[in-house]
Amino acid sequence: MGHPWWGIAGALAIELVRNLVNLHQFEHWLRNRNRRDPPDAGGLWGDLVSQVSRLHRRKQFHKKRLLSLFRELRRSTASMPDGVVALNSVNEIVWFNRKAAELLGLKRKTDFGIPIAGLLRVPEFSRYLAKGDFSASLRVPPRVGDATTLEFQGVPYGEGQVFLLVRDVTRQSQLETMRKDFVANASHELRSPLTVISGYLETLALDDTLADDLRGPIGEMRRQSERMTTIISDLLELSRLEATDEQVVGTPIDVAGLLTLLRKDLAARDAKAHAVELRIESPDGLMGDQGLIHSAFWNLVDNAAKYSPAGGTITLRWWTDDEGGHFSVTDTGPGIAAEHLPRLTERFYRVDPGRARDKGGSGLGLAIVRHVLQKHGGELKIESVEGRGSAFSCHFAPLRLVRESVAKATDSRYSAEQHSNE
Amino acid sequence: METSDLSHHISRRFNEDLERVRGQVLTMGGFVEQQLAKAVAAMVEGDSLLGETVARDDFEVNKMEVSIDEECSRILATRNPTAGDLRLIVAIIKAITDLERMGDECEKIGYIAARLASQERPVDKYREIKHLGRVVQNMVHDALDAFARMDPEAALRVARQDRLVDEEYEAIQRQSITFMMEDPRAIRRVIDVMWVVRALERIGDHAKNICEYVVFMVHGKDIRHVRIEDVETELKQREGRR
Repeated sequence: MGHPWWGIAGALAIELVRNLVNLHQFEHWLRNRNRRDPPDAGGLWGDLVSQVSRLHRRKQFHKKRLLSLFRELRRSTASMPDGVVALNSVNEIVWFNRKAAELLGLKRKTDFGIPIAGLLRVPEFSRYLAKGDFSASLRVPPRVGDATTLEFQGVPYGEGQVFLLVRDVTRQSQLETMRKDFVANASHELRSPLTVISGYLETLALDDTLADDLRGPIGEMRRQSERMTTIISDLLELSRLEATDEQVVGTPIDVAGLLTLLRKDLAARDAKAHAVELRIESPDGLMGDQGLIHSAFWNLVDNAAKYSPAGGTITLRWWTDDEGGHFSVTDTGPGIAAEHLPRLTERFYRVDPGRARDKGGSGLGLAIVRHVLQKHGGELKIESVEGRGSAFSCHFAPLRLVRESVAKATDSRYSAEQHSNE
Repeated sequence: METSDLSHHISRRFNEDLERVRGQVLTMGGFVEQQLAKAVAAMVEGDSLLGETVARDDFEVNKMEVSIDEECSRILATRNPTAGDLRLIVAIIKAITDLERMGDECEKIGYIAARLASQERPVDKYREIKHLGRVVQNMVHDALDAFARMDPEAALRVARQDRLVDEEYEAIQRQSITFMMEDPRAIRRVIDVMWVVRALERIGDHAKNICEYVVFMVHGKDIRHVRIEDVETELKQREGRR
């Protein structure tokens, strides 16, 4: 009697088996979908299979495109002439190109995830990275004592990540060294013949039997040879300053004593008799190289005297505040036009090429000042208003300052000199 | 993409502590490398000013040692590190002692270089010191690289170089004895040179020690006072068993 039920049950069973077979085929295909063709199935299963295989094809297509894009990118960065290292926010190596591996000795297999400062241990580089100020580039060898010079330039991006560009600048820095050496050697070689010439000129000028019409030319020759001597000694001083980038430690300098001495020196040499005003507003001294600081300050004072007309006032001021120590020389001269200010510390730069020569300067004074200040971690600032006068100021970090008692106790030169003069 | 096993800590701060102190060790290492390069240059080029600078700057090395030491004590006390982390801290405490000693040897070389600069220089211009100096500098550099990469194989390669330094040291010693016998007036100078060579040899030993700590750190095996070849075969066997 249960005949129809058996029929229904049989049909259901067949349907179930068909579904199971389809499901099994579908699962099998899904698992090996890259190697097999999609199974043939009708109805709902067929739809499902075609949907999934369409999705799959689309995914394959995107994957291939991304992969080829990525390969292309990797090939192009590999052929870049500069090294590139990508760093994450804690300066661990995330990625680098072939050139960077070559320049820095990085290894592709092991070096991802390692803090770069651990592998590039040159102290200057560690400081550059730790400071996180990438406004300037850095030139150091890839490892201590290496003959090659690399230029590093950090490029911050994202949240604290950094792209590090690396270039081999060995050739450039060798050329620069050669240029510096050449200037130093040439100046040195020129000095000896010049000494002979000025020696004879001096003897000639003192010779009573000299014909009167020769006195003028001889005097002029003497002045010019003196100027050449100044230029050469300034050039030598500059090349000495340029020889190392290292900061000067130095000894305590009694700035008040130094300024008093500068005023006295100026009074002795100044033909135009300027009024010199001394404003020492702090008793503190300065840590630095005495010779260098003296030469820098003297250059500023001498310039002020040279370029301001007779009867003007020159003010020397020394003061300290939270930002450190400051020395300024202010004159009431003609001032300097704004367009000249940025180039003023370049060598041989003349505001007025025709006129400045007869002042007798070497054209190197401000370059020397700038270099001396750099060696002391200081800075030169120039302000000027045409027709009103100029102010040259030197700024030193608070770390450079020393208490009055220390400076006076260690640096007794000026007080001793003052006593002996009195 | 991560450094070996320093990355699995639940406490991020602990991780950062470990990474920072490791970074400090390598910074200290970089400074010692620079001191060594300067000391050798001062000696070879007869630059008394550079020699004095090296001797003066040694206090920086000492300062770094003290600060890293304190940091390690703090980590030991507050984090109770175990296994690999504990080995890392122990290795660091040992490594900084070696680095500090290297610094002292550099200081010594600096002093002697400053003193010798004013004296007559030998014909060969201290060529042997230049050569030995380069070998030792490479050793220190590679040892620190192995430390940074936690690479025990590289560490063993460096440790093997120590024998080269020892041989070189022996050779220079024999040569110096000949010099002293030939010209008794040079004895004073040759003794100073011997001190420098000795200091370089010691620096090589300290670099080897650092390599041993790297192996200890990664494999947990103490390889001091064991022949390097034996260590290598054993480590290879271990790899094979895995």
